[in-house]
Amino acid sequence: MDGNLEISLDKLPVKRLDAIEENGAERYPPDSSYDEKRVSLIRRIDFAWAVEDDEERERKKKQKKSSKDASLTWQWQSMVENLQLAHQELSVIIDLINTVEANDAVTVAGMTRPKPLPNEVLSDLAVCAATKLQCYRQLGKYFKQSAKGFEEQIAREARFYGALIRLQQNWKVKRQRVAAAASSNEGFTIDLFDNSLYDLAAMCRPSSLSTIRVEHDSAGMLAINLPPNSCRSLHFGFLGVHSADIPKNMSKIKTRGSVEQRPRESEKESVSDDDYVKETHSLLREVHQSIFNDQVFEMLNREAFNQSVGVNVTGIRENYLQLSIGQGNTLFISLVPSNKGDSQDSGDTQNIESAIVPSHSFVTGKKWVFPNRTSCEIYLQQIVHENAFVKEKDKPNLSGTQASAQSGKDEPSLLGHFCLSLAHRIFSSRVLTELENVVCRVPYLHLMTHPTWHSRTSSWTIFMKVPQSILHAESRSPKSDLQNMKNSIKSQFCTKVVVNDDRINVEGEGAPNVVGLFKSSENVCSVNKYECDLADLPVIILLQVASQVICWLHEEALTVGIKTNRDFLCLTFELEQGENVSLVAHVNPGDIKGGISWWLVMEDGFAEDWKLQMDMHDGASDYRKFLGHLTLDVLYSTLMDLVSMCGGSRNH
Amino acid sequence: MNKGTGVGTGPTAAAAAAAAQKQKTMMQRVETDIANIVDNFTQLVNVARVNDPPVRNSQETFMMEMRAARMVQAADSLLKLVSELKQTAIFSGFASLNDHVEQRTNEFNQQAEKTDRMLARIGEESAASLKELESHYYSSAQRTADTE
Repeated sequence: MDGNLEISLDKLPVKRLDAIEENGAERYPPDSSYDEKRVSLIRRIDFAWAVEDDEERERKKKQKKSSKDASLTWQWQSMVENLQLAHQELSVIIDLINTVEANDAVTVAGMTRPKPLPNEVLSDLAVCAATKLQCYRQLGKYFKQSAKGFEEQIAREARFYGALIRLQQNWKVKRQRVAAAASSNEGFTIDLFDNSLYDLAAMCRPSSLSTIRVEHDSAGMLAINLPPNSCRSLHFGFLGVHSADIPKNMSKIKTRGSVEQRPRESEKESVSDDDYVKETHSLLREVHQSIFNDQVFEMLNREAFNQSVGVNVTGIRENYLQLSIGQGNTLFISLVPSNKGDSQDSGDTQNIESAIVPSHSFVTGKKWVFPNRTSCEIYLQQIVHENAFVKEKDKPNLSGTQASAQSGKDEPSLLGHFCLSLAHRIFSSRVLTELENVVCRVPYLHLMTHPTWHSRTSSWTIFMKVPQSILHAESRSPKSDLQNMKNSIKSQFCTKVVVNDDRINVEGEGAPNVVGLFKSSENVCSVNKYECDLADLPVIILLQVASQVICWLHEEALTVGIKTNRDFLCLTFELEQGENVSLVAHVNPGDIKGGISWWLVMEDGFAEDWKLQMDMHDGASDYRKFLGHLTLDVLYSTLMDLVSMCGGSRNH
Repeated sequence: MNKGTGVGTGPTAAAAAAAAQKQKTMMQRVETDIANIVDNFTQLVNVARVNDPPVRNSQETFMMEMRAARMVQAADSLLKLVSELKQTAIFSGFASLNDHVEQRTNEFNQQAEKTDRMLARIGEESAASLKELESHYYSSAQRTADTE
């Protein structure tokens, strides 16, 4: 409002005569009601000042705008001014309405909304449309987010089930409905228990590793988590040779407690999944092997408590079994965690390797070799697998012995058979050592090994071969075809050595027996078969070979028409003068130069002459001459010399 | 889809009834979810019209959010159903599983036989080599010279 105050004067509230009629009646204006008076008062309010103020403001704004055209205007300035004007108008109207209501004289009859202008209508419509469009855009984003999440979930499930399907091709996958409300996924497990245990189904309890739970990792891929040191492997060794505390390190597959998660890039996901599945296969295979090892050890433990041939338990504790297999040898079988071998240093690994290599022990000049530890472990697992896990109809014969756990008392069980096999291997290696010692010292002996493919039987043959030079000389001599044929047959003599468990059987021709004593003229080299022990084996072999040489010399003498007398190791020639000259074989297993030495023994006649000529260095009889360790060629030559000395005793 | 379709002789009556019931349940779930999605999407499209009162537009905004959430929930339910069907297909395909197991068994048996033959051949070759080596060694001049 302006500073000047305007005053308006109202008429006094006196009734003034309005008009006088001719008859003298006075007419006064009608009395206005209270409401009419209030309305008239209200109408007298002058709003011109407000209108003028508005007009002035507009003019000023226009002036300001024109003056501020050069500078930037705020884009919302007009809106702000409009809002301020609207606020003013609303304030006035609200005040008016409050005043009217407070006076109770005037009430608002009604308010009509002013008809909106077209631009206002359009602007309202635009705002609504924009709001709705914004809402739809947000919905679109929400749908896209959800779709992306679903796609990821589908991809995760595809990877998970793809891997599970591939695992199912080799393993028994079971599903268990988990009553978890958090997720609707079912629990998957892999059953590794082998229900084909034919004889052990009632004996073996399922291992704790038989059922493996399949879990999800953070990337949605399946994961198998195993507790550490859960996989165990069989550890075998000979006490004193292999340490029971050094774990086995034969497995080339790296053992793990759980499959590690690797960060995968999106473009290499398929390749990593294949490798991941392969690693999972390997892990499951390790667990499967561990379960098998547990079953093997449990079976061995059960059999150890049953009396059986070959089983002699000398020590037992948790996951450890110690057995004596005779001849002072003791073996142990234990279960050790497979992870121990991975954590060792290279230095320890070398010690293990040296322990695994078959060791040689030198005792009193002899050496024997223990079987390879790895081969023994494999053999143990193989016989258990064949005889306990294979069905009855497919069960192979276990090297001639029944390997069932319920076998008779006289037949060894699996463990007994295993112990007997190892004992035989050790014993046969000693036998072979002795045979090699003998054969190496006698040049005309050949040793030939005959693989029997039997775990408790070994066989060798010692050949004494007549030199080819002698055979060729005989073939050129004018003899009958029959004689030639007979000589060709006897070009070699055989001595067979067969070891069954720890029994040595020697079978050979050449040694005379009772039958040969009664058959004097025929070329009888009978075949003998007898048993002996290890200490006597070299002597027996040498005796056998020496007797074969004597037999051969006897035959050769007969071939040239000389009658000779053959004793066990002695071939006697009757000379022209009636004396007897004997070619005697001497056997000495301890002789380093050769096991068989030869003596020439004279009897009667020339004894006194020999006294003066014989070398009496060893205190031998005067009529004996030591010929030394002769080869067959030299023996044949000696024979021919003796034959030439036998003149009148030729037998045509 | 019938559970155990690969069983040759057919499931028992109880199992067949259970399978039929499960199939019916799954079909109902599928229909419910799809109807849910279609209805909600239809409503979403229907409220695209711009109304005069702004209040109504706000109401419609909230309604659209609610219907969108329902659509997503129905889609999630469908995915779970598909996952369940996958599991059933994996673990109920007995015919294919048995065939595969038999195939693998035959493969392993053949591999075992092949390994056995190979081991036998190795044994025979080793025996022959051993025999030859022994013969050569004991006939060699070196051995003869050593013994002499």
